[in-house]
Amino acid sequence: MRVTFWGVRGSIPAPGPATVRYGGNTSCVSLETSAGELFVLDLGTGARTLGLSLMADAFARGQGRATILLSHAHWDHIQGFPFFNPLYVPGNVFKVFGGTESPALLEGILEGQMAPHYFPVQTLRNMGASITCEAVREGRAFDVAGCRITAAANPHGRTTSLAFRIEERGKVLVYAPDVGYPQGKLGPSVQSLYQGADLLIHDTTFTAADQSRHAGRGHSSIDDAVAVAKAAGVKALAAFHYDQDYSDAEVDAMVAHARTLVGEGAPQIHAAREGLTLAL
Amino acid sequence: MKVRFWGVRGSLPVPGSKTERYGGNTSCVEVRTEAGTLLVIDAGTGIRKLGKELMAEAFESGRGEAHLLISHTHWDHIQGLPFFSPMYRGGNKLNVYARHRDDVHLRAVFASQADDPYFAVPLSETKAEVAFHELSDAARFEVSEVRVACARLNHPYIATAYRLDADGQSVVYVSDTAPFADILFEDAFVAGPPSLGAELPRTDREKLTAMRTGIVRLCEGADLVVYDTMFTADDYRRFAHYGHSRPGDAVAICREAGAKQLVLYHHAPERTDAEVDEILADTRALVARERTPLVVTAAFEGLSVTPGGVSGS
Repeated sequence: MRVTFWGVRGSIPAPGPATVRYGGNTSCVSLETSAGELFVLDLGTGARTLGLSLMADAFARGQGRATILLSHAHWDHIQGFPFFNPLYVPGNVFKVFGGTESPALLEGILEGQMAPHYFPVQTLRNMGASITCEAVREGRAFDVAGCRITAAANPHGRTTSLAFRIEERGKVLVYAPDVGYPQGKLGPSVQSLYQGADLLIHDTTFTAADQSRHAGRGHSSIDDAVAVAKAAGVKALAAFHYDQDYSDAEVDAMVAHARTLVGEGAPQIHAAREGLTLAL
Repeated sequence: MKVRFWGVRGSLPVPGSKTERYGGNTSCVEVRTEAGTLLVIDAGTGIRKLGKELMAEAFESGRGEAHLLISHTHWDHIQGLPFFSPMYRGGNKLNVYARHRDDVHLRAVFASQADDPYFAVPLSETKAEVAFHELSDAARFEVSEVRVACARLNHPYIATAYRLDADGQSVVYVSDTAPFADILFEDAFVAGPPSLGAELPRTDREKLTAMRTGIVRLCEGADLVVYDTMFTADDYRRFAHYGHSRPGDAVAICREAGAKQLVLYHHAPERTDAEVDEILADTRALVARERTPLVVTAAFEGLSVTPGGVSGS
């Protein structure tokens, strides 16, 4: 498995000189399996650059296929969808999985973003590629593109956000953006979802101090992420979904703090940044 | 008046080292009069930083008032509003103006942007007083001492241009728009580029001519014209159906209208800083060749211009 980060920011894209190293695009991660299948985890504005990179390939000829896993539909996780070029090439095939009650609801959410008063393309039907939506049932594993996927609904402020466990040939990636644990406690279903992952990509929106000022937002601090990663025995943790106001220097400090928390043992700490690829 | 640019990009925000100088935030321009009346044109992601700055003023204590003029409600012109801090402070007043549509009320467009599942704080829970004002295509109204005039633009689903007159100065905001030839945009989806230079049906031609006349009139003698110049000539050949202009289109309108300064605006997401430099140089060369007395500037985040003062480079 190869994991690549295209957008690592939370809430809203944060352009400017202060974010150039880690990047200012909102959440988007790609996963290429060892069998060559493509997964896209969330479609924040990072999806635009991912889409551009794919257009040199089968996706340019209308022979591409990918599985899109959406954690939830807050803007910073879907706003790159209309700008993901492979969606405009007839022949390409996309399956979109999200945590709605039904496939129709998920499609309705994506259509809502494309509506004529918001976007000139007006509807998914005008995009060209084949796009089908699937509703994810919490806790019920399913197989897609040679991977076994399990999802759990994490608390995220007033709503929930899906965390995904993706397993292929003994390797495990867990993607857990946008989560604020009540009193910092992991529930048992989440504990087993994260258990022993080779890489856990986890919400680290805040420093502990900033998190206490924004308690209702439903995001984790870097300290929370390190604690859950340790509790679940994961091998490596990628800090992800940084607050839009954090400069590169502030993210540096946050990541250095995480490494201090961990000390000599596991997990290994990675700082997600645009363009970073990790092999599992 | 003082005009400040907070977001100068079209389509979507583009962070990164290649857009560092001009900026990657989407459309947002602040206009402030000498008496302190605050107008904001469009609410792309640039409005977030404006909001933070405003919170250091009367808006922090809930005594601020802003007037937000929306050219149209495509994402890159409204996506920053949920992140505009003054909205979340009781006592502040925000007046939102945009073109009336028969198919959807303006409030519904903004409410749905802030609703579950897209955003955590619904519009009904924002603490500031938010009022929506729907405008006709050629509306004329006053905001304190500012006279506002509107004209229709040629853009998919239709957009509005605004002229502001105050302090003996004038600013015109023309974004987003295609040139007034080749294709007439209304509400329908346009799947592909039109054949350029082809003869259009008479009714379309007449509408485009009337629209162009309206824009030239709106820009008449303006001290400052901010214009959608997202496209290069090549972009226009390939993507004319997206509804944006080239710098030459903006220069032609300004020349006919006798406008004094043109600001190139709504840069394409893929345009690097070096490419914007080049487009600016080419446009200045064009103006020099034509001996048009027009100052040309390319918008960047942080650019501050006093209309008629001719500054900024």
